[in-house]
Amino acid sequence: MGGYILKRLVSAIPVLFGITVIVFLIMAMIPGDPALAILGSYATPENVEKLNRDLGLDQPLVARYFIWLGNMLTGDFGRSFSLNRPVIDEVLDRFSATLILAGTSLVLCAIFGIAAGVVSAARQYGFADKAITFAVLLGISIPSFFLGMMMILLFAVRWKMLPVSGMYAIYGGGDLPDLLNHLIMPALALAVVATGVVARLSRSAMLEVLRQDFVRTARAKGVPEGRVVWGHALRAAMVTIIPVLGVQAGFVLSGAVYIEMVFQWPGVGRMLVDAILKRDILLVQGGVVFVAACYVLFNIAVDVAQSVLDPRIKT
Amino acid sequence: MSFFKLLIRNRLAFAGLIVMGLVLALVIATPILPLYEPNVTDTANRFLKPFEGGHILGTDHLGRDLLSRLLWGTQLSLAVGISAAVFAAFFGAAIGIVAGYFGGTTDNVIMRGVDMLMAFPYILLALAIVAALGPGLVNALIAVAAVNIPFFARNIRGVTVGIAHKEFVDAARLAGESHLKIILTEIVPNVIPVIVIAMSTTIGWMILETAGLSFLGLGSQPPQADLGSMLGEARSALITNPHTSVVPGVMILIIVMAINLLGDGVRDALDPRLRSGALTRPRPATLVEREGPVPAPVESGTLVLTDLQTQFRVGERVYKAVSHVSLHVAPGECLGVIGESGSGKSVTALSIMGLVASPPGVIVGGSAIYDGTELIGAPYSKLRSYRGDKVAYIFQDPLATLHPLYTVGDQLCEAIRVHHSVSKAEAWTRAVELLKQVRIPNAEGRAKVYPHEMSGGMRQRVGIAMALANDPDVIIADEPTTALDVTVQAQILALLNDLRRERGLSIIFITHDFGVVAQLCDRVAVMYAGRIVETGPTQEVLDDAAHPYTRRLIACVPELGEGRRELHAIPGLPPAVDRLPAGCAFAPRCDKAQTLCQVGVIELEGGASRKVRCLYPETDIAGMAKPVAQVPELKKGAGA
Amino acid sequence: MTDQIFNWTRRGVLAAGVAMSLALSATAPVQAQTPPGVLIVGQIAEPKALDPAAVTAVNDFRILMNVYDGLVRYKSGTLEVEPALAESWEISEDGTEYTFSLREGVKFHDGTDFDAEAVKFNFDRMLKEDHPFHDTGPFPLAFFFSAVEEVTVVDPMTVTFKLNAPYAPFLSNLAYPTGLIVSPAAVEANGADFGRNPVGTGPFKFAEWRSNEAVVVEANPDYWDGASALQAVVFRPITDANTRTAEMLAGGIDVMVEVPPVALSEFEGEQFSVLEQAGPHVWFLILNAKEGPFADKKVRQAANYAVNKTALVEQVLEGTADVAAGPTPPAFAWAYNEALEPYPYDPEKAKALLAEAGAEGAELTFFVTEGGSGMLDPIAMGTAIQADLEAVGFDVKIETYEWNTFLGEVNPGLEGKADMAEMAWMTNDPDTLPYLALRTDAWPDKGGFNSGYYSNPEVDKLLEDARVATDQGERAKLYQEMQTIVQDDAPWVFVANWKQNAVTSDRVEGFELEPSFFLLLKDVVKN
Repeated sequence: MGGYILKRLVSAIPVLFGITVIVFLIMAMIPGDPALAILGSYATPENVEKLNRDLGLDQPLVARYFIWLGNMLTGDFGRSFSLNRPVIDEVLDRFSATLILAGTSLVLCAIFGIAAGVVSAARQYGFADKAITFAVLLGISIPSFFLGMMMILLFAVRWKMLPVSGMYAIYGGGDLPDLLNHLIMPALALAVVATGVVARLSRSAMLEVLRQDFVRTARAKGVPEGRVVWGHALRAAMVTIIPVLGVQAGFVLSGAVYIEMVFQWPGVGRMLVDAILKRDILLVQGGVVFVAACYVLFNIAVDVAQSVLDPRIKT
Repeated sequence: MSFFKLLIRNRLAFAGLIVMGLVLALVIATPILPLYEPNVTDTANRFLKPFEGGHILGTDHLGRDLLSRLLWGTQLSLAVGISAAVFAAFFGAAIGIVAGYFGGTTDNVIMRGVDMLMAFPYILLALAIVAALGPGLVNALIAVAAVNIPFFARNIRGVTVGIAHKEFVDAARLAGESHLKIILTEIVPNVIPVIVIAMSTTIGWMILETAGLSFLGLGSQPPQADLGSMLGEARSALITNPHTSVVPGVMILIIVMAINLLGDGVRDALDPRLRSGALTRPRPATLVEREGPVPAPVESGTLVLTDLQTQFRVGERVYKAVSHVSLHVAPGECLGVIGESGSGKSVTALSIMGLVASPPGVIVGGSAIYDGTELIGAPYSKLRSYRGDKVAYIFQDPLATLHPLYTVGDQLCEAIRVHHSVSKAEAWTRAVELLKQVRIPNAEGRAKVYPHEMSGGMRQRVGIAMALANDPDVIIADEPTTALDVTVQAQILALLNDLRRERGLSIIFITHDFGVVAQLCDRVAVMYAGRIVETGPTQEVLDDAAHPYTRRLIACVPELGEGRRELHAIPGLPPAVDRLPAGCAFAPRCDKAQTLCQVGVIELEGGASRKVRCLYPETDIAGMAKPVAQVPELKKGAGA
Repeated sequence: MTDQIFNWTRRGVLAAGVAMSLALSATAPVQAQTPPGVLIVGQIAEPKALDPAAVTAVNDFRILMNVYDGLVRYKSGTLEVEPALAESWEISEDGTEYTFSLREGVKFHDGTDFDAEAVKFNFDRMLKEDHPFHDTGPFPLAFFFSAVEEVTVVDPMTVTFKLNAPYAPFLSNLAYPTGLIVSPAAVEANGADFGRNPVGTGPFKFAEWRSNEAVVVEANPDYWDGASALQAVVFRPITDANTRTAEMLAGGIDVMVEVPPVALSEFEGEQFSVLEQAGPHVWFLILNAKEGPFADKKVRQAANYAVNKTALVEQVLEGTADVAAGPTPPAFAWAYNEALEPYPYDPEKAKALLAEAGAEGAELTFFVTEGGSGMLDPIAMGTAIQADLEAVGFDVKIETYEWNTFLGEVNPGLEGKADMAEMAWMTNDPDTLPYLALRTDAWPDKGGFNSGYYSNPEVDKLLEDARVATDQGERAKLYQEMQTIVQDDAPWVFVANWKQNAVTSDRVEGFELEPSFFLLLKDVVKN
């Protein structure tokens, strides 16, 4: 197992390397000038040119790439010029917020999505199945930002049940209940689409599995139906469901951008959007490498979980 | 059935189709509808509520008519969403096909690139593309299409790899056709359904994506309306004038829902696996819908079946898999049930404990009495408490019938613990014991392995051990040796035989092989097309089979020591059980069939031990009426 | 027979429900009012830095003005200069030497003394490329003090600024945030990170900056001008106007600045008060006078007639602005030309002028921004303006850009890209905007912001003269004359002068807005 993990980690290196190239090229392609972000309304062409020289942006592309890569390998991600702070500090601050949000959503979508899919499959064509199918359809069809806006309007402004935005009460908060209180709406809004996708997939995976011979064997043994469904069948269906969770991680990370904007969540998605718009090259590059690495690691974790779950996979 | 019929038969998809049709009709009619100009502002009349001042949906923050903007915006959003899906599908499919078809390094390089792009949060990629190209709906379209290419590429590649190694492609290659021609004529036609499915399920997603970019202000440029930008612009007035946000928001919801419904319908209609409705979940116990009273048992024994009838209902068709089957088995007795595949022998066996997959299976009549208790129609809890405890099954193909993800020990433990409240450790000890009883060497170690790590014979022993776990009174073995080679088969049969004698088990042994029956069974019942056609003590039947079908089956068995002997395969196929002919079902294949054989109902007749369902049996059986006298009359009639 | 499944389903649903309600009930009581003595201010964006020399945005100034002091400041409610860290000053006869006597006993928040050396450090850091801490920049507004030749320490409490020429706006610029005094010791200690660890002499000291969540400042008990009654102020960046409004309504913030016009009606109730204050702001459209239809003065005037400015300020902006008459906002009362009347809304006249110029159906590219400092509601404004221009026969295509990208497109000049662009300026002196954006020498290629290439030698002359004139009456005359000419030349479409607004909850007392657009919170009380 250790060897397998190591092998997977090693195989992730070229992917990450490729990502550094892609993000670097994209940022190089985007027209517009980081100097403007620094100089604000008072940017004159003359100032801009001088500043670009100071920032080393006048060097050839290849040289800039290797300088950046070299620095990064030594742990130096550079300095964000729009925020006036080391990239790594900002990314770590913001990334932890996104992890909390996206992680919670992923857990929610896994729990509710799988549960809904299993119930739906076990009661195929019954009332629960129809209700769940409809809810799922609604879930995957609603723009998450619209849902978030509506949630704020109802739960925070009209009924004052939950805080409008932010991650902690702005003064004197900071404990776990406070965090949860702020987390409920954005995490739910973010989880809705992914839950729908997972539920649909779980349903069809379960239907597939429930027809298999080993389910009949379990029934022939006299295993109670609840255990047949939630034990035998679900266990086997997880082999199909888990990789989807890996893919959903990517979607949740992306969807977090909108949710972070609507709920003012201090996460990395919103940071990256701002950074792209402000042409804060180093911040974008650093942030993307981080997010991508996280995604790649998560998918390795998914594969490992898969191989633990399914002894037939050769590790 | 044609694609469109299938699509329309799916009620949800049809609803989606209707909604989409309405939306499309509205959108196409937009230019000729008597609407306000979508872009003319009237700031004095801003934020009118619906139906105020002649504006059906009210006005937005600049006093523009919301209905007009909604329809024009829907037009644009749909156009963009669909074109993005088409672009993404085209390029994604092209990349996927190239990677899948050429394989090797090409495949490796392309798929690595795809992996990289997929690890890149797609929304940022889209943002970066828009940032590079400048704002505008067309650029947003390009961005959305571009970020979705990897998903299509990956999907299509998988399918292409499957096709690229099919014989017809190899044949085309050997014939020296160019790669381009092979791809266009052999690969593409086979991949298109997958592309269509992927597209129909992603258009909705694309519309959401484009709306998202517009919402961020990177889509359409004012004053042009699309649904996303309408939502984005209305957002600042969400609290004061929610209707300006709700209108485009709900429209997006409706469209995407309709498209998703339609997409699901298209997928179901195109996916051959789903066509037959195969993806239905079997109930915990077979559905029982009696069409008549419960018949009284005639025979006695541990397990007595009387007039059992099981059908498969698929759409309009009814397959009578089991028709009026009566069987019984006494303690310590082994009853063989034999027949070709499709003869209904397995369904008979599975019907007893309600294990026939339902839907489509339905038990429509008959009785199965175990130890004085009626099993057909018994409550699930009763049935469950008997399953495995009193009546146990051994199935064919243990690789499929054992759970692949649990160790065999765990599966044995579970079989014990669902019926007896014993500790895990106790159950484990018993499980190891059971493995020893079925002569598995190194039982302690083997208990910890997974089914796929065992040989076929070992797995079948596990299956037997599992059936024995609770000391059942009856074991129903459904072709337990079919998948095994001859030596292993002999061992398994010997094992079952020993167990039967040691424990006084009743065994119902289902097989298509008379050789096996001969080794193990006291009595035999021969099934054809859902009916029993002959039954009697094994040796008697073997020595002097009465039904022509039985004779043919016996002739199929090679005998040791007889050297090269011609095996008589039975010409023809068993009839489809949804349109059984009148009279003897075997008549069309029977070389002794007479006209009378294809008329009326032919009963199973004979004495207490031997019975046959034939007008012209190969041998005389006590207690049968003889129809022979009537034959010349009929022949005369036919001749005249 | 499906009882079992049903049981499981029910149990599952029950468990999920219990878990959810537990989560809700455990957390619900936490939702409470903001604490008394702590003022929560809803800001429009995350500050870029808290180094006064490094920032340009009003949003950042709102924090800075409470953490730092300058040598001088604007008298409350006016744009007139009064003493702050300097107790008094003298100006030499020729207007090139300013000598300040500094306030005794003032200490920075880090405990170091405020003195003449500190003042010199501040200006040298900004202006002298060889200063050891010049690299903690860049300092985009350093040109406010480009007239300063040398800062001399006369004695520990006296400092002299030597200018290379008379420069009338000098004192006013010193009162601007760029002139705020930072602690030299803190700059030395933190280098480039000073912007995240600010130390000044102001009524509040910096406590904490949680990225994209809050900047917290706490009252400075030793403040020379009397300590604040507040315990702390929290500046919360809430970029989304809608979310900001929701927070205000839900009680998550006590003060909200830049209230979106559409949301104003939500705050009519007892528990809120809405404040309004006109300031030196002008919102206009830059017209490309170098090429295309707007090279013709008649077409530029036609655009001014075509735009229904009253509808814009009354309806789109819900009365949060007044119609602008010319390039100088009325908030500079002494320099404003009262005789100037705004272009009336007259589409017929516009059409006539267009016909006269032969520019009917002229195709225009219009740069619109999505947000930005003082831009009010730029997309809605741009869209409404587009509709007005279309109505008189222009053919207008809008291109929208995010603020920074927008500046990158507009500041280097519109030539070859666009015919018009939105723009807004908030300044502290009537000199700043016209000097930087209307002179011939301020064309983009010469380092100015005259992105529409307007050029009128008369205007150039008037502006140069006004800059070196030391007498305010004389300056006023020159500026008024400039306004008349510029209005007629119409290099811009003059649209609006913003009245800055803010909403406070009923728990906040003593809150006032300043014409300078700064936010001074020392005397605010929160119950």
